Amino acid sequence: MPTIEISKKDLEMLLGKKLGADELKDRAMPFVKADIEDMQGDLLKIEIKDTNRPDLLSVEGIVRELQGFYGIKIGLPKFKIKRSNVKVKVDPNLLNIRPRGAYAIAKNVKVTEHLLKQMIQLQEKICETFGRKRKEIAIGLFDYDKVSGNLRYYAANPKTSFIPLDFNEELSLEEILKKHPKGQEYGKLLSGFEKYPLLVDEKGEVLSMPPVINSEYSGKVTIHTRNLFVDVTGFDQKVINTALDIVCAALHDRGAKIESVTVEYKDKQIITPMLEPKKIIVSTELIENIAGLNFKRDEIKKYANMKRMYCRPKKKCFEFKYCSYRADIMHAVDIVEDILIAADYNKLRLEKAQVPSKGAELPLHNYTKTMREACIGLGIQEVLTFTLTSKERQCRNMLLSEENIVELENPLSNEYSIFRRSLMPELLSVLAKNKHREYPQKIFEVGKVALKKRSSNEEFVEEKELVSVIVSHRKADFNEIKAIFDAICCAMGYKSVVEKVEHPSFEKGLCARALIDNKGAIFGVVSKEVMKNFNLDVPVVALEMEL
Amino acid sequence: MKNIEDIAKALSKIEVSTLEALKEGDLSDEYQIAERASLNIDSVRRAIAWLSEKGLVELEKMEEKQPALTEKGIKALSEGLPEEKLIEALKKLGGKANFGSLLKESGLSKIEFDAAFGKAKRNSIVVLDEEKNIVLTGIESSFFASDKTKLLLNDIKSGFKVDENSFEFADALKRGLLERKNKAILCAKINERGLKALEISKKVDVREYNLNVAVQRIFLGKKQPYARFLDEVRSKLVAMGFKEMESPLIVEEFYNFDVLFQPQNHPARDWASTFRLKSPRYGKLPAPEIVEAIKEAHENGASTGSIGWGYRWNAELAMRLMPAAHGTAHSARQMVKGVEIPQKYFAIARCYRPDKIDKTHLMEFNQLEGIIVANLSFRHLLGILKEFAEEIAGASEVRFKPDYYPFTEPSVELSARHPILGWIEFGGAGLFRPEVVRPLGIKCNVLAWGLGIDRLAMFKLGIDDMRDLFSTDLDWLRNHEIVRL
Repeated sequence: MPTIEISKKDLEMLLGKKLGADELKDRAMPFVKADIEDMQGDLLKIEIKDTNRPDLLSVEGIVRELQGFYGIKIGLPKFKIKRSNVKVKVDPNLLNIRPRGAYAIAKNVKVTEHLLKQMIQLQEKICETFGRKRKEIAIGLFDYDKVSGNLRYYAANPKTSFIPLDFNEELSLEEILKKHPKGQEYGKLLSGFEKYPLLVDEKGEVLSMPPVINSEYSGKVTIHTRNLFVDVTGFDQKVINTALDIVCAALHDRGAKIESVTVEYKDKQIITPMLEPKKIIVSTELIENIAGLNFKRDEIKKYANMKRMYCRPKKKCFEFKYCSYRADIMHAVDIVEDILIAADYNKLRLEKAQVPSKGAELPLHNYTKTMREACIGLGIQEVLTFTLTSKERQCRNMLLSEENIVELENPLSNEYSIFRRSLMPELLSVLAKNKHREYPQKIFEVGKVALKKRSSNEEFVEEKELVSVIVSHRKADFNEIKAIFDAICCAMGYKSVVEKVEHPSFEKGLCARALIDNKGAIFGVVSKEVMKNFNLDVPVVALEMEL
Repeated sequence: MKNIEDIAKALSKIEVSTLEALKEGDLSDEYQIAERASLNIDSVRRAIAWLSEKGLVELEKMEEKQPALTEKGIKALSEGLPEEKLIEALKKLGGKANFGSLLKESGLSKIEFDAAFGKAKRNSIVVLDEEKNIVLTGIESSFFASDKTKLLLNDIKSGFKVDENSFEFADALKRGLLERKNKAILCAKINERGLKALEISKKVDVREYNLNVAVQRIFLGKKQPYARFLDEVRSKLVAMGFKEMESPLIVEEFYNFDVLFQPQNHPARDWASTFRLKSPRYGKLPAPEIVEAIKEAHENGASTGSIGWGYRWNAELAMRLMPAAHGTAHSARQMVKGVEIPQKYFAIARCYRPDKIDKTHLMEFNQLEGIIVANLSFRHLLGILKEFAEEIAGASEVRFKPDYYPFTEPSVELSARHPILGWIEFGGAGLFRPEVVRPLGIKCNVLAWGLGIDRLAMFKLGIDDMRDLFSTDLDWLRNHEIVRL
C-alpha cells in the first residue's frame, strides 16, 4: 500500500481548518481510508489503503474529500477548463510500443515548494501503483514557456538524440536506455522495439521520451515555473485520462487555470482533460440490503454530498454523479460503501446475526486429537515447527533424495525454501537446539507436510497429516520406540503387521515399518551418520506415521 | 558420628548411584562418575560432597587442563557475541549501514568487528550492496538459535564435556572466548564404611525421608502452548455454530486472488509480496463454467452489474501454485466447491508471506478466517465482529474504521479494546463483492472476515516475541504453565 508525505500546515491551509492530532487520526483519516504512520512536527506520513483511489495520493485529493466531511465544500467538485488551440498529433506507428497520450496545459500556477513536492510525489506514486510501475501510466510535467506550437508524439529512430534530465550532454535514445539511471530502470518497457516513443514540439525540441525520461531543457519544473504542460502516456485511454484528470484537479485546486488539448489519432480526435462527472444508478433495494436499514432520501443525499457526489432521488433508485477520476467505482456497491462511511460505521446500530447452524470440526481432527492425546498420555511433550524448511535438513542430513520435494520459487533464504515432507528432521533439529537441556527428551508433533507427486504426466502437490515421535537419552533403544508404537496403535485401535526394513536414516537392522489401512508407519534407531549430521550425540529413536 | 546403619538408610538416590559407580574401589574423577551413574555433573558434585561429609568416600583434588570461559567469553555469553551485537546494531540502523557508522553503533573494537562481520557474511546474515553498505538479509534468527559457538560456550559454562577437536572450539580459543586452564577436578574413592553403607542400603526397603532433599524432576507430556490456544479457538467457533473449512497449505492463485477479484496485474500479486512454487508449478482449476464466469467478471463484469477491470484474463496465471497468503483463499475454495445457505464457516489457516523474520513478523502465521452465507447486512457483520472481539479477545469495546480489500465492499477494519493491551488491530472484514459471489452462483450476501490471532496468542501466553509462538526451547515448553483461553 502506498505511503505519502504531506505537510500538516499545507493540508490545513488548503482545507481552511485546523485539525488536532486526535481529530486527524481518528476521524479525518478514516474518512479517506488512510492511516497515519508517522507524525513528526509538520510532516505526516500517511498510508493510503485504497489502491484504487490514485486521486488520494496527494494532499489536494485528500483535502477535496475532507472538505465534504467537514461541510466546507459539499457535492460534486467543479472544475473549469478552457479549450486551447494546441494539438498533439499521435503517430499510428506507436500502436504496439505505447499508443495513447493525454495532455493538458496549466497556466498561472503558483509553484510553491509544497506544490512541487506534492506534484512529484503524486506523479511517482500514481505511476508506481495504479500505473503498474509506469507500464500503464507515465506522467511528465514540463515548463510550458519552453514549449512552442503544436506537438508531435511519434515513434522515433533510436539514433535521435537530446539532453535527458540531470545530464549535460546529448544522448541518443538507445544510449539513454543503457546509461541513464531511469533508462536502466524503465528500459525494459521498451525492449524489443526498433523505435522509441518521443514527444517533440513544433520546433523539434524534445519534451520527453515516455515512459523513461524528460528532457533537461523543458522537463525541469522549479518554483520559478509559471505555466505547465502535462503529458500522460500509456495503452488504455480511459486509464491515462484518469491520471491526467487527477493531476489537473490537483493543479486546479492550487489555483491554476486548466486548458485542454486536442489529441489527434489517425482515426479520431479527442479533447483532454474532460473531468466530466460519471453517472451511476443505485437501487434503493441494494442500499437497504447492504445497510440493513431504510435511510431517508434526504439522508442518502446528505451522505452523497459529504462524499463529494451529486445525488438525485428517483423512483425506487437514486442517480449519483461522481468525479471522473474515481477509479474505484466499478459497481453500485461502491457507492453504498461511501454512503455508509459518511453515515459513520461507529454510529450504525449493531445487529445480532441469528443463523441457526450446527458447528463442526473437520473430520480429520478426530484423528489428530486422539493421536495427540495418546502421545501426551505417554508423557511426550508436543512441539510446533515451521512448515517451511531447508533441503539440507529434509534431505541431505537424513541421507535421502530430493525427488518429491515441494520447492518455493522465490524463497528469502535457503533455510526456508521448501515445504517439509517429513516431521522427523524438524524434530531432530529441535533436539540439536536442546542438547544442554535435561534428558530424557521426548517430543512429538502432529502436523501437515507437502509432497510432490506424479500421475501419468502431471505433477501435483499432496498434503498429508503426520505424527512423529522422538525419544533421546543414553539408553534409548529399539524396544522403547517399538513399545511407544504399540501403545499408540493400541490407543488408536490400529491393527498392524510390523516387518523389518532398511531405511537410509535408520540403523541397519534396527528399523521397522507397518501398514495401517494403507497408511505407512516407520520407526527405529536413528543412524549414527544422521545423528552426526544433526550434531547429536545422545542416542535417538524415532517414529513417524501417517494419520 | 552417626551409626552406619542410620546413615545407610538415609542415603538419597543419587548418593547410592554414586557409591554404586565407585564400588570397584578405584580413584575416579567426577566426569567418570557422572558417565557411569548416568547423572549430571552437578548431581555428582553434590553427592560426593555429601558422601565425604558422611565419611563414606575419600576426596582428592587433581589438576587438569580444562576448557574454561575467559572474561571475554563470559561477557559474550551474557551480553551477546560480537556478531550478535553487530546484527543488533545493524537493526537499530534500519537494517542497512556503512562500515563506519556500524562500527560505532556496535561498540566493538575493530578486530572484534572484522571477525564478527566475516562470520555474519559467511553465514549470509549480511551482504554487501553495490555501495558497500552492509545489509541484513533477514535470515539471522534461527542461525543464532543454533549458533554452535554459543552452544559450546554454554556447555563449558554448565560443566559439560565438549569436543575439543571441533572447529568451533579452535575458533573460540583463537578469539579468546575460552582458554585451557588448570582446573581442579574432584576425584573420589570409596572406603570401607562406604562399601558397607552401599551394602546396607541395598537391603533397606524403606528409605527414611528427608523432605529437604531435592527429588529428581519429572516432566509431564503437554500440548504445545500455541497449539493449545488454537485448539481452544477452534472449539469456541464450533460452539458458536461454525463449520470448519479445509485449509490446505498450498493453493492455486485462482483461489488466493482470481476468485477474490484481484486483477492479474494488481501490485499485490507482485513477485515480492507473496511466495510462489517452483516445483510443482501448476495446480488445477475447477469446472470450466466457473473459470469462465470468473474470467468474465474480471474482463467486463458480465452479469454481476460491475464494469470489471477491463483486461485480458489469463487462465495459466491462475493455475500457478502458491502457499496460501491469506485465509480468504479457503473461503474462496469453499464457495467454489459449494456452500449451504444459510451456513457459517471458519478456518484456522496457516498463511505465508515473504517477510523478514523478527519480533513481530514471521514467514508463516495463523489467521482465523470466516464467512457467513445468509441474507444478512453490514450491520450484522459489525455485530458479529463485536461478538468475536468479546468472545475471543475478551475485549470490552470495539471500534470500526473504513478499510480497503479488493474482494469486499463495504470493507471494515476492526479494533478491539483489550483490558490490558489497550486498542489492538484485530482484523479486517466486509461483504464479498458481487464480482466475487455472483459468478459462483451465490445469490445472497456473504459476510467475511480474517482475524489476526497471533498477537492475541502472544498476550495469552505471556510472550513478546512472535518467534516464541513456535518456540522449541524444551525448558520453556516444560516449564510453561498450562494457559486457558
